Amino acid sequence: MSTTSQKHRDFVGEPMGDKSVTSLSGIGEILGKKLEQQGFDKAYVVLGQFLLLKKDSEMFSEWLKDASGANSRQAGSCSQCLTEWCDAFL
Amino acid sequence: MSLREKSDEELSKLLSEYGIKHGPIVDSTRKLYEKKLEKAMEDAPVEVPSPDKTFYREEAEEVTYITYHHSPVRQEVYSDGVKRRGNAEPDEEEEPVQYTEPPVQISKRTANHSAAPGIKEPKRESGCSVWKGVRLLLLLAVLAAALYYAYCRVVNNEEDPFGIQ
Repeated sequence: MSTTSQKHRDFVGEPMGDKSVTSLSGIGEILGKKLEQQGFDKAYVVLGQFLLLKKDSEMFSEWLKDASGANSRQAGSCSQCLTEWCDAFL
Repeated sequence: MSLREKSDEELSKLLSEYGIKHGPIVDSTRKLYEKKLEKAMEDAPVEVPSPDKTFYREEAEEVTYITYHHSPVRQEVYSDGVKRRGNAEPDEEEEPVQYTEPPVQISKRTANHSAAPGIKEPKRESGCSVWKGVRLLLLLAVLAAALYYAYCRVVNNEEDPFGIQ
């Protein structure tokens, strides 16, 4: 997790605005679709869940794995990207 | 122990009891917290320590306390009155208070049993026999105390009639 992807940097670099859930690092087409089906269509809805869990990366990763079937790497990448976004913009 | 049936508030309370930091319990977070709580409960299956537990501990302490220092008092009442006076007197002053308590505590105990009969059944039996013995001891102790008081008074009156008003 020391090196970050371009997607991560893009997301963390600016307010998320209306970005779709797939703009989150670690969330691709397939995971994005699964999340959309559960009502998590925008990145900010996922952020809402992240905040509900009090920014607890561990809990959030667990939730993401449960909800979308993400693996540990994907879940970790997504929670790190949200953590950093919160540090910058919240 | 089905967490699924508990209300959000109950769940939140349980989480706090197990020392799990948590946010609001809503539809999207509930399942996660149920899981976490379940794990915590498996690791430490001691459910909410009930108040009667401390009650029993107190009772046990009381019992040993009383039986422990009554026999010596009874045996040596007349042997060294002046020396014993210092530590024997406060004890005797406490005892009448305790003596009036047993009936109350017994009724309390039976009430507890009807509420949670499983664990405490054996304790009650031993407690009853112990209480019988304790009552006997208390009776004897009170008698001894009365005699001791009378004795002290007589001795003090002989030595220093103005010491006691």
